[in-house]
Amino acid sequence: MRIAIDVFVAISVFFAFAGTMGIIRFPDTFTRIHASGNITTLGVLGVIIGGVLYSGFYLHDGGMVVKLLIMGVFYLVTSPISSHAIMKGAYKHGVRPDKEMVCDKYGEDMVEEEEE
Amino acid sequence: MKKSSFPAMMSTAVLCFLFWLVITGQLTAIFNGNVSLQSIVIGICVSLFSGWFSGRFLINNSPWFLWNPARLVKLLVYLFLIFPVELVKANLDVAKRALSIKPKLNPGIVKIPVDVQSDYGMALVADSITLTPGTVTMDIVDQDDQTYYYVHWIDVATQEPAEAGEMIKGKFERKVKGIWG
Repeated sequence: MRIAIDVFVAISVFFAFAGTMGIIRFPDTFTRIHASGNITTLGVLGVIIGGVLYSGFYLHDGGMVVKLLIMGVFYLVTSPISSHAIMKGAYKHGVRPDKEMVCDKYGEDMVEEEEE
Repeated sequence: MKKSSFPAMMSTAVLCFLFWLVITGQLTAIFNGNVSLQSIVIGICVSLFSGWFSGRFLINNSPWFLWNPARLVKLLVYLFLIFPVELVKANLDVAKRALSIKPKLNPGIVKIPVDVQSDYGMALVADSITLTPGTVTMDIVDQDDQTYYYVHWIDVATQEPAEAGEMIKGKFERKVKGIWG
């Protein structure tokens, strides 16, 4: 069981590292948000699963298990909303990538609506 | 704004009360037999109040909708088997891009059609898309009786709406349609 906990925490550390590298190295706002998605999903879930196993099998603390599970659920419910809001807000505010995007259907449709 | 129905209010209040019990540690106190009456009474008051003003946001059709074994099992299978597999695949993909020597990026915003009709289903599909790294839902629009998502995609493989939709959310959508339609 000790090994399983270590594996979960190691997975989480790896993905948090990859996400941080992505945030530093990706070229613009929008792709950086994708990299942060790496941290907010497996990076956090791994730690939470590891914590659940540790507090369940080593500390024998049921309350902590339930609290960790609730934390995980709320995390999964709220984090996509925040990244959606940041991305839409940045786009509406006029942030555009340095390099041209391959296609931008959202911008094209917004221009059409303004013309109508 | 529409008014909240009484069942919606009550079910939200019950949910809030259970949450209160867990957070304040009274759930274990009930098993041990040393319940503090004050805490329980405050919990009931607070959860009735929050149920009264937030019931209409949480529940807008029948509160017993998920009280159906087939739907519940499908939802659990979706949340614990199908979605995590896709999540891990997408995570590995984005991690590979972030750690490669020259990041291979091909970002763009595509427009994909969605067949799910109900609000809950649409929200669940959009959340699933956003939660998988590499795709983020930007907006939901209705055009000519068809719902579209605008999705920012880190690696645009195709710009054809239907094809891109199948690649981004094909699996999610089919499963969610079985639950919420």
